[in-house]
Amino acid sequence: MMREALARRVVRLAPVASLVALLSACASDAPQDTFKPEGPIARDIKNLATPVFLVAGVVFVLVEFGTLVLVRHFRARKDQPEDEFPPQTHGNTKLEILWTIAPAVLLAVIGVFTVITIFKVDAYADDATMTVKVTGQQWWWAYEYDTDGDGKTDITTANDLVIPANTMVKLEVTSRDVIHSYWIPRLNGKKDAVPGEVHELSIESDDVGTFIGNCTEFCGLSHTYMRQRLVALDKSDYDAWVANQIEDASEPTDDQAKAGAELFATTCSRCHLARGINDDEYEKAGSGDDLVSGPGPDLTHFATRGAFAGATFNLWETSDKNDIVQWDEIGKTLDKENLENWLRNPPKAKPMDPADPDTTDVGRGMPDLNLTEEQIDQLVAFLETLD
Amino acid sequence: MAIVERPATPALQLPPGAAVAERPLGVFTRPTATTGWRSWLTTVDHKRIGIMYGAAALFFFFMGGVEALMIRVQLTAPDSKLYSADLYNQIFTMHGVTMIFLVVMPMGAAFMNYLMPLQIGARDVAFPRLNAFSFWTFLFGGIFLNTSWFLGGGANGGWFAYAPNTSVTFSPGHGMDFYALGLQITGIASLVGAINLIVTVLNMRAPGMTLMKMPVFTWMAFVTQLLLVFAIPVISVALVLLTLDRTFDANFFNTAAGADALLWEHLFWIFGHPEVYILILPAFGVVSEIIPVFSRKPIFGYPFMVFSGIAIGFMGWGVWAHHMFASGMGPISVAAFSMSTMFIAVPTGVKILNWLATMWGGRITFSTPMLFAIGLVTMFTIGGLSGVTHAVAPADTQQTDTYYIVAHFHYVIFGGALFAFLGGFYFWWPKVFGWILNDKVGKWQFWLTLIGFNLTFGPMHILGLQGMPRRQHSYKEGYGFELWNHVATVGAFIIALAFLVFAYNIIASWRAHKANPVNPGPDPWDSRSLEWMLPSPTPAHNFDEVPTVSHLDEFWHRKYAEDETGKVVRVATSEEAAQKGDATNVHLPSPSYWPLVLAAALPLIGYGLIFSPAFAVVGGITVLLAAYGWGLEPADDPEAHHAHAAHDEHDEHGDGDDGPGDDDGDDSPEPKDDDDGEVVAASVKESSDDE
Repeated sequence: MMREALARRVVRLAPVASLVALLSACASDAPQDTFKPEGPIARDIKNLATPVFLVAGVVFVLVEFGTLVLVRHFRARKDQPEDEFPPQTHGNTKLEILWTIAPAVLLAVIGVFTVITIFKVDAYADDATMTVKVTGQQWWWAYEYDTDGDGKTDITTANDLVIPANTMVKLEVTSRDVIHSYWIPRLNGKKDAVPGEVHELSIESDDVGTFIGNCTEFCGLSHTYMRQRLVALDKSDYDAWVANQIEDASEPTDDQAKAGAELFATTCSRCHLARGINDDEYEKAGSGDDLVSGPGPDLTHFATRGAFAGATFNLWETSDKNDIVQWDEIGKTLDKENLENWLRNPPKAKPMDPADPDTTDVGRGMPDLNLTEEQIDQLVAFLETLD
Repeated sequence: MAIVERPATPALQLPPGAAVAERPLGVFTRPTATTGWRSWLTTVDHKRIGIMYGAAALFFFFMGGVEALMIRVQLTAPDSKLYSADLYNQIFTMHGVTMIFLVVMPMGAAFMNYLMPLQIGARDVAFPRLNAFSFWTFLFGGIFLNTSWFLGGGANGGWFAYAPNTSVTFSPGHGMDFYALGLQITGIASLVGAINLIVTVLNMRAPGMTLMKMPVFTWMAFVTQLLLVFAIPVISVALVLLTLDRTFDANFFNTAAGADALLWEHLFWIFGHPEVYILILPAFGVVSEIIPVFSRKPIFGYPFMVFSGIAIGFMGWGVWAHHMFASGMGPISVAAFSMSTMFIAVPTGVKILNWLATMWGGRITFSTPMLFAIGLVTMFTIGGLSGVTHAVAPADTQQTDTYYIVAHFHYVIFGGALFAFLGGFYFWWPKVFGWILNDKVGKWQFWLTLIGFNLTFGPMHILGLQGMPRRQHSYKEGYGFELWNHVATVGAFIIALAFLVFAYNIIASWRAHKANPVNPGPDPWDSRSLEWMLPSPTPAHNFDEVPTVSHLDEFWHRKYAEDETGKVVRVATSEEAAQKGDATNVHLPSPSYWPLVLAAALPLIGYGLIFSPAFAVVGGITVLLAAYGWGLEPADDPEAHHAHAAHDEHDEHGDGDDGPGDDDGDDSPEPKDDDDGEVVAASVKESSDDE
């Protein structure tokens, strides 16, 4: 009896506790929080979801507490004779019809607003003033921009999707190998990247800022480590970024970086292109076309990105409390440790299935190139010049 | 007219004068054991098969549970590297596959196999050897799948196994081959079992048991079997295509060769969505049996319970692409599936309200089964509500592939199906084994399970909405996921503790029974359906005489009647209304080796397709021989002894004893002339239909 009373008290406190937990959850700052929209599309979704969650919450309270009250009220009491039965009600057709129709009507109302929002979200692409091609491959995202509208790609970049703030951008999402999914929770829902198909995903940020997301369709070994960043810039910064990205990389002047550039041309050209540095070697090696998912990330302006290796490792030091490299931190202090760690043994840093680099076999991901510490220093010095 | 005429061809007739055949057709002498481990291997008794399904399910639950704890331990802290990403991918894949195909489905099968023939007043299922074959095929398929751990690694493509990631290019190694072939094998078990149970329900109900007098559990089991019959072939086709791609270089899912990458998704989810109703409907049935008993009232709205189950079965086929809202289907498809998904909440809601209405006005006893049943009502509601939020497609594009979905399906599968089955174990244990599980310990198990379960999966709602994706080996510090992951891991270990308590209860209750054997009697709970009319444990022959049914809750009406004022009065005690179980010489279906042999050959073919064609050849030949032997083996062993004279005393005509208190009993020896009288009479004779 004591235990039952205690249990009942726990059960009564449970809703209070869960409410507290829920509220505390809302208060926390999760950079991928889907209920903290920072763009119009995510806001549309939240405005639809919130009332639905509230209705669900009301139903939850009614059913759960109703159940608790009900079972307490109608529990068999010691003073009731064993052989006395409660009224043997078999049913109530009116009630059945009522509680079939009422939820159906409620759901129909939710359904109407849902369908409206489905088509509204889908139509944002028509208002887009620019398009970026987003291609997923194991295990990173490539972005291609056609900035002059001539049908040819002018900028090829990776990991950081840079767009102007306050602008509706149409993403054309596809994949080169398996199904991935592109998602920046603060700005929009996700859209699968399916090989052989191109899907539209609209995205807009209210304001300048840096947002993060994950690949959200299981894509194998490093699905966990296939992340993305979205950087929204004001118009002048964005234009400057575009102008810079279109330029080839300039040959480094520093000796160590020069050695790194040579090493890059001889060692990395099978998979990576840095325009202005290893164009010929890259083309001679096949432009990455024979690889399972095509070429590796274009590194021409590697040092303008906040993170690398599928946006898994920060390239620059950051003081951001969520460890997200901010726009103004790019180009400041290189996170040498991350970069050296990566070059020393990429498959150890991020699970991949690469082929032996000394063979012509194809694999997935970057192999261990058995670089010496000196070579690593040279490459790091070189990569830092790719701004 | 019998269902199948006995062949009168001379070849199969016993030579005149011979009491027994020298050597029955078939390679092996027919097994005759009724006790000992050999009798379990050759049994065709639905009750033993049900027990074996339950034991196997609990064994695989232990494996799936260990896999779950491994997931939780890895995810307790950010950036954890306890296991490699590759091993983690295998663990979560195998956890999902195990829990769905090797735990919840067979657990449902355990209850359906044991109870359904009893609840309809039959002596066994329509095809007893096929029933045994289903079990062994499932078991060997599950074992085959798990040998992958030792033979190159477990399946690692997720339980949903999306192409093209499951192709040889992206999933080298044999894990996905074990997945495809293992599930193909267990699929055969489910499909064959479904046909068996459907035929049983349609043809072998006791006289007077119309469809609308069947218990709700049997109805839900019946709808489940119909879902299986149509859903399993879809996954079988998908798995064949996958096997053809992986083993024989086909291009069904090769986008470079022009395939549509979404083909697999559609095939999988056309199976996958009905599959979740296959998981939950038997559990709904269990709860519909438990709640009325412990509320001392009949189920509220029986026709609505039946029809909502049927509605769920039908509507379940029209919602599959709600698993694909982010797949690029286009807004019209998204809108259509969004709407259909919303409306499937209606029949489910009807059930929840009917269970509550059953308890309303009742006299509720909080036995362990009742606690678990109320657990399903409350926990499934939560899962159902989060399901409605998924139906809002734009919101789902934020929710899908996050822990919010993980929370949803654990609430409906664990909080729903598993809670019901745990209650079902406590409820039917005395009937099955002849002793009771300790109720006090059971209550400890319930509370530990409830608390652990909510601590584990409740916070996942928050994690998902805060953007934690699923199928992730680890998460970064700074994303805000730490706190709730810690809590979830603690909860998971409380669940583990709860199941240790369950194991302890089984052992301790058995010991207590051995020390002080007290038979719980036929009807420890004062229940309503026909299985409680039999002694505990259920005798091998089930019913002494097949009862004639005139009510829903037939057994209840043999104990109680309503007087002029509508008050319930007892007309017989449980013992009086129950059967004695002392009938002798009841003809039962004969045991057989062939189901076991045929089932064992299937994984051989599997190994052959993965490793060496020699296995496949051996397996294929064994299949042929086993099928041949089975087909030529008489359904009944001609050597099985039974006195022909005693036969006449038995219920050959389907008009069994109606028990005290039922005044419209018909004691005439002629076959009953009701709708299904002819069929029932033939089936009640002996389960001797050729298979």
